[in-house]
Amino acid sequence: MSGGRLITARRLGALYFGVVVFYLIFPILIILPISFSNNDFLRFPPSNFGLRWYRDYLSDPVWIDATILSFQVAALVAVIATVTGTLAVLALARGRPRFGRAISGFIALPIVIPHIFIALGVFIFAVRFGWEDNMFVLAGAHSAIALPFVVLIVGASHRQLDPALEQAARVLGAGPVRAFFSAAFPSLLPAIVAGAVFAFFVSFDELIIAQFLMSRNETLPMRIWADLRLELRPTLAAVASLLIVVTTLALAGAELLRRRAQAKLDQR
Amino acid sequence: MPRIFRHWMLWPALAMLLVFFLMPSVDILRASVMDPELTFRHFERFLERAVYMRVLWHTVEVSFVVAIVCAVIAYPVAYFIVQSPRRVQFLLLLLIFIPLWMSILIRSYAWMVVLGREGVINSLLMGAGLIETPVRMLFTTPAVYVAMIQILLPIQIVTCYSAMSDIDLGLVRAARVLGASPWEATRRVFIPLSLDGTITGMIIVFMLSMGFFITPALLGGRRDLLLANLIEFNVTQLNWGFAAAIALMLLLAAIVGIVVIRLAARLLLRALNGALAR
Repeated sequence: MSGGRLITARRLGALYFGVVVFYLIFPILIILPISFSNNDFLRFPPSNFGLRWYRDYLSDPVWIDATILSFQVAALVAVIATVTGTLAVLALARGRPRFGRAISGFIALPIVIPHIFIALGVFIFAVRFGWEDNMFVLAGAHSAIALPFVVLIVGASHRQLDPALEQAARVLGAGPVRAFFSAAFPSLLPAIVAGAVFAFFVSFDELIIAQFLMSRNETLPMRIWADLRLELRPTLAAVASLLIVVTTLALAGAELLRRRAQAKLDQR
Repeated sequence: MPRIFRHWMLWPALAMLLVFFLMPSVDILRASVMDPELTFRHFERFLERAVYMRVLWHTVEVSFVVAIVCAVIAYPVAYFIVQSPRRVQFLLLLLIFIPLWMSILIRSYAWMVVLGREGVINSLLMGAGLIETPVRMLFTTPAVYVAMIQILLPIQIVTCYSAMSDIDLGLVRAARVLGASPWEATRRVFIPLSLDGTITGMIIVFMLSMGFFITPALLGGRRDLLLANLIEFNVTQLNWGFAAAIALMLLLAAIVGIVVIRLAARLLLRALNGALAR
């Protein structure tokens, strides 16, 4: 292929990439300007701007309570999924359990099983024990679907570890636990944090399990869902914009952290 | 390895999956056939009523179309990213990750804002004088497709990309050195090697579409409802046994769909290899 044709192909590729990215991102970005309108109804373009709908969100206890509940559940999930997931990674990589492959597959299963299936199961199961409307049960169910992501992220990082470092610490007289925490854990930490952030948002965004399980206590996605089906007030645009900004910053930060650490490990 | 890293570390994770995943799944199975004694009437009802079978077929059809369209759109995107310089790759991937991370609820809402009667597209078209009255886009089948593909496409791109970035480009170069034309080297070496990632992505997208709930409910009309919507409806009507039967049918259909995708991929690969032999 001649150089000229190659450049044309690259340009066509860039154009195509641009079109696809526009399709992916445009509908999300368009919410941001709309959320700053002062109009009574959603309209585009807004005719006057202000923070009216943000004030509406912040002053409505129903919205705030839902946000707080979601935050609590997601924080619990981040802790539970990250701790259990990291322990599982260590056991799978170091303990060489029998059926290790099958266990890894089983842990990954909730990624591909539709959430509606898990939601229905958890609901029927919870009813049997009188566990409905309980935020800890919700956190448990969310942890089950967040776990595979933590295992994937931390597991990938664990594979990059250099076992020689830990062995050196052992040779120098550290016990196994101390050797792990001084020689391996610091390298794993970025992936663990990234996994925790990821798990947090798996829970924070989840609707269906919460919708089945909870009744009086509403999570933020449940509140959004109810609003979407009933009235579509512009408050929603403000809530959505906040979520878009927070999600992007948190996850981009976590991803950046993870990649930096990965690159550092790759250099060794 | 020291004894301390032993199997007990697996227990918390497995216990959690047991309580919040495995036992609930068993409960679905039980609820579908015990009501209160052993009965298959929920499955019979599902199979006998044309409405339910129609929704099943519609769900399978939508999921196949979405998986295929995503695969076709994503492949060149992933290829473009892989061919870019290393430093740029992360920035390009970030543009794919940002929509990937966004909640499905928010993205479906965004499409309501874009496609609605007084939405962005209608306002722009009317502002430009191209149309007099708003075009009806919301609550139609195309709206569901446009949104579902937008929501699932990033997953396909990322899966496809990671498979492609594992390919040793030295193999393609070797084919070139051995006299293959650029297209031949791509077709014989790169495409077969990248097909696995594409298929994995398609299976994930297919599986997720099968369970889609939010998007059809918000953007589609009555006829666009999928199996998941049917499950939710029956839960609110307290027909748990029937909801459980639908959930199992959903899972069964998804597994059959995956087998079909795998078989089709094998045939395709054989056809590519046949072309190679000639």
